[in-house]
Amino acid sequence: MVPSESRHFDLTCCELDSVERLRAHLAGGRTLYEVREDGQGGRHWQALTADDPTPFVAQTEPPPFAAKAFFFAEREAVFRFDGERFVAIEPTAPAQVLFGLHACDLAAVAYQDQFFAADAHYQARRAAALLVGLDCRHSCSQGFCTLVDSGPEVRAGTADLILLPTEAGWLLLIASVAGAAAVADLALPAASRDWPAQRVAHRQQVASEQGDGQWLQDGIAAINAAKVSAATWESLGLRCLVCSGCTTVCPTCSCFAPLERKLPDGSIEQERVWDSCLYEGFQKEASGHNPSALAGQRVQRFWQHKFGEGFRQTFGRYGCVGCGRCDHVCPGGIGVHAVMRKVGKPCSN
Amino acid sequence: MLELTPRALRLLDFYADGQDSRHFRLRIDAPQPGDLAVIPGQFFMLGVPGFGEAPFTYVSPPDEGGEFSALIRSSGRLTARLFELESGASLGYRGPFGKGWPLLLGARRVLVVAGGCGLAPLAGWIEEALHHAAPLQLRVLYGARSAPAQVLGRERERWRQVLPLIETLEHGGPEALRGSPLAQLDRLFAEEQPQVVLCCGPEAFMLAIAKTCVRRGVAADNVWLSVERRMHCAVGLCGHCYIADSYACVDGPTYRYDHYLQLLAHGNTGHAGGELGVGPC
Repeated sequence: MVPSESRHFDLTCCELDSVERLRAHLAGGRTLYEVREDGQGGRHWQALTADDPTPFVAQTEPPPFAAKAFFFAEREAVFRFDGERFVAIEPTAPAQVLFGLHACDLAAVAYQDQFFAADAHYQARRAAALLVGLDCRHSCSQGFCTLVDSGPEVRAGTADLILLPTEAGWLLLIASVAGAAAVADLALPAASRDWPAQRVAHRQQVASEQGDGQWLQDGIAAINAAKVSAATWESLGLRCLVCSGCTTVCPTCSCFAPLERKLPDGSIEQERVWDSCLYEGFQKEASGHNPSALAGQRVQRFWQHKFGEGFRQTFGRYGCVGCGRCDHVCPGGIGVHAVMRKVGKPCSN
Repeated sequence: MLELTPRALRLLDFYADGQDSRHFRLRIDAPQPGDLAVIPGQFFMLGVPGFGEAPFTYVSPPDEGGEFSALIRSSGRLTARLFELESGASLGYRGPFGKGWPLLLGARRVLVVAGGCGLAPLAGWIEEALHHAAPLQLRVLYGARSAPAQVLGRERERWRQVLPLIETLEHGGPEALRGSPLAQLDRLFAEEQPQVVLCCGPEAFMLAIAKTCVRRGVAADNVWLSVERRMHCAVGLCGHCYIADSYACVDGPTYRYDHYLQLLAHGNTGHAGGELGVGPC
């Protein structure tokens, strides 16, 4: 699916008697991934077969990992040097379905679609993927999608199909040409219910659960007015353990580093691997000059990327989609809630 | 789609050109028409197989045969390996990348200020200016730590014949020219007020030069800097060369001073820089 094709697609709504039947249908001819519990407290994206019997569960909490790695691989080869020539390594792009993506994560995919618009590796995988979104009826524990315009209802142009849960059962929104083609054989009946009103009700519910977001507005304003002192950033930087947890789970983080490895035949393969702007040596140059030598500068950079006005203008939205994952993983307690509350307080600057 | 795979590049030859620096002649194996479109101040990614890629500026741009030259100072693993290689070695090339110096200035009185290896990205611009149909009143102010540290000896020898070249040294040389190029600005501005200033060197040095020139009446939008950052991908994706919401590999490395100040106001103030003369090439 090419996102621009679906941006202006008029949603149509169908009755969906069984989510599992839809899932089984989509899994035919494609690898379908769904988030499943591992029985040990973890949840992961797992490949399912068409005959998988497990009932679909609409989970309120987003999974620990968003969809990022499906398109922007954590590690992949880019080219090979055989001693004389450099040969591009073409990306592999199997047809796949991501089933049950939350609105926030889909907003992040749309954000990265723009960022990686001219990257052949990302786009090959992206074009081979069908995205099935899931509207949320309640806020997750750390999320604030209503404050950053990413949810709780899946945004137009970010998914091919959208699962809409209601008290009276499931509805399915057809959201792109690819989505319509994927379910054409199911001959789903058109829905007669007032589904737009249902979605508005969900939005109002989640918005009431997430509050007015003054803490976030104040933080964003302070960052963009450059009112946050170096001392404040440094005090936050002292709590950064440089674990890269935030950049790993953040669905819009996209930094990578080159990595060469020698193959048994003597050739050299260049890979790119996820990197983190929180690492001390991220910007260090061969001369020793390091423009972001201080932890506070690096923490400032991370939040500039999430809430900087320049990025918002470029991508049409903030880099933060309000999923709250950084709060979950940060061992130093400087996820989005803590940071934005701190930088938004005039007395702390 | 973005160019991520290098093309084959041949090391033709080199000569010593300043302390720890060499002037390399390189040739793109299969030159393309786009290779001729290099603007002085742009950069290319040099691949040294087994040691990665790193950005370097062109001293002379590629000709129709794909030949060009680059001044490279040994300062890390990749350059250490490069300095071990002989003529004929296989290297990798991607480029050109980034924004170069402004070409059509609409001004005649131009002051070029360089520190250390910062002269390299300006060399191509100076050469073009010398061949410009409308002659410029061009002056070049070049500071280095010591005489052995000075780079681009052959180019400077040629320029000295055709334009005012003021060379300062931190150590040695005539007393009137000892110290930082900053100390020469009083005299140069008294002789003739420049309309445009192009500057490259360590970041702190550039900011000091730019600030002084603006204080002396040069418009901030007529001062241009070439900023070094760690560039890995060169196509605006890997994130390493950020300056606030700008990526130096795409939006730079040449920045207009007023734009650069805006970036610094909203991003890191990581412009501590090094001492004069230690800026990498």
